[in-house]
Amino acid sequence: MPSSSPTSSVIQVGPPSPVPRERRHRGVPSWSLKTAMAITGAIWAAFVAIHLFGNLKVFQGPDAFNGYAAWLRAVFYPFFPKEMVLWGLRVVLVIALGVHVGAAAIVWARGRRARGGHRVTLRGMRSWGAWLMPVTGVVLLAFVTVHVLDLTLGLAPVAPEGFAHPEAGVAHAYGNLIASFQRPWSAWFYVAAMVLLSVHIAKGFANLAADLGAMGRRWRATLSAVGGLLAVAVLLGNAAIPIAVQMGWIA
Amino acid sequence: MKLTVQVWRQAGPGAPGRFERHVVDGIEPHLSVLELLDALNEQLIDSGAEPVAFESDCREGICGACGVTVDGEAHGREDNVPSCHQRLSGYADGSILRIEPLRAGAFPVVRDLIVDRGALDDLIRAGGHVAVDAGTAPDADALPVGEERAELALDFAACIGCGACVAACPNGAAHLFAGSKLMHLSLLPLPSLERQRRVVAVVDELEELFGPCSNYGECARACPAGIPLTAIAAVNHERLLAGLQRRL
Repeated sequence: MPSSSPTSSVIQVGPPSPVPRERRHRGVPSWSLKTAMAITGAIWAAFVAIHLFGNLKVFQGPDAFNGYAAWLRAVFYPFFPKEMVLWGLRVVLVIALGVHVGAAAIVWARGRRARGGHRVTLRGMRSWGAWLMPVTGVVLLAFVTVHVLDLTLGLAPVAPEGFAHPEAGVAHAYGNLIASFQRPWSAWFYVAAMVLLSVHIAKGFANLAADLGAMGRRWRATLSAVGGLLAVAVLLGNAAIPIAVQMGWIA
Repeated sequence: MKLTVQVWRQAGPGAPGRFERHVVDGIEPHLSVLELLDALNEQLIDSGAEPVAFESDCREGICGACGVTVDGEAHGREDNVPSCHQRLSGYADGSILRIEPLRAGAFPVVRDLIVDRGALDDLIRAGGHVAVDAGTAPDADALPVGEERAELALDFAACIGCGACVAACPNGAAHLFAGSKLMHLSLLPLPSLERQRRVVAVVDELEELFGPCSNYGECARACPAGIPLTAIAAVNHERLLAGLQRRL
């Protein structure tokens, strides 16, 4: 510590504890894990918002939706090579998801350990929301896996029969989506996942405010409101698609 | 009124604990949870049994010495009220109260309902104090502090250090306690001189002794001093700022 410091370098006062306490010495500090979770969660929330906007083009008909899907593969072409932006986003999302899930697992395990095996009583919405985060998180991880196998990779048995891969500037996203959601289990699993996702997003934004250290009333209220609005938009917008397919409104 | 008490009995640290069942009759509903324990102890002493050990001091909610868990809730059923002010009138005549110590991994049981809350002292020792060598006391107006700032600092300084926030937390975290200290001190002129070093020291200690915060918000419900939930955001707020600032 340089001499400009107003105090001595040691600020320990009072006698140390006579009993050695149980301490955790190793590993990435929890506050950095929580900060990383807030940032990676925000990246995914931004992705979900953009994804929702793209999804809604399904209501404009096959040409709009397929055209959008084809455009995604050629964003900023010819400045960037084709599919470069798409792959860049995929890499960022996969890394963000890995960090988010890994940090969540460590924080969860540390929390269980620090509780010391004692029973807890949860009171109120905020508490149940926090309890739901890992629960919804695990289901959402399964959903993301199924969703990618179903509509991106087109791998059986998750993907619908007759899944068509994109070819030379032509996408078949609309046909694949309809084929997938015409299977009831796929449609209702998607709707259920959207309910959980909206809960995860709403509580996630409130957590983000706390984890990034937002103490001002307006900042906290704004972040909670943004989270709430996004949650409602995701629930209504995305869940409408499989329901519309099941009802036969779009085909 | 007549109440059945299931009280935690434990001979010493590390000893096996168990619940003991007693019936306390003829107790007034305006009495507190601690006075219920007093009545139980009189009964136990009269019958030649060992009384239940529990901590208490001022019995007016300002000292932070008391704290038991009633039916799984730190301090008791009512929010933001210490054990000494939790009235029995909230319980129906003939009901069963399960009274156990404040529960957390960082709070080992010393005896019966007494726990070692020294881990909180370790946080204070690491940085919950002012170590600025300021010489003799300055004139009262030499360092002006705005009224709003002073009031906010006092709000955070209201913490009585009872440890209910840790016991209420499903993660065994002490962010409400640590955050209230950090905010109280960083808002005032002399303590703010060591703001950066304080938060690094306190958060290091927090990481080693307590759990992470998952924003359950149980702490602010239990807190008898009414420390606002923004105190938990203060921990990351101060730590992130310290990380961004140039080291002095």
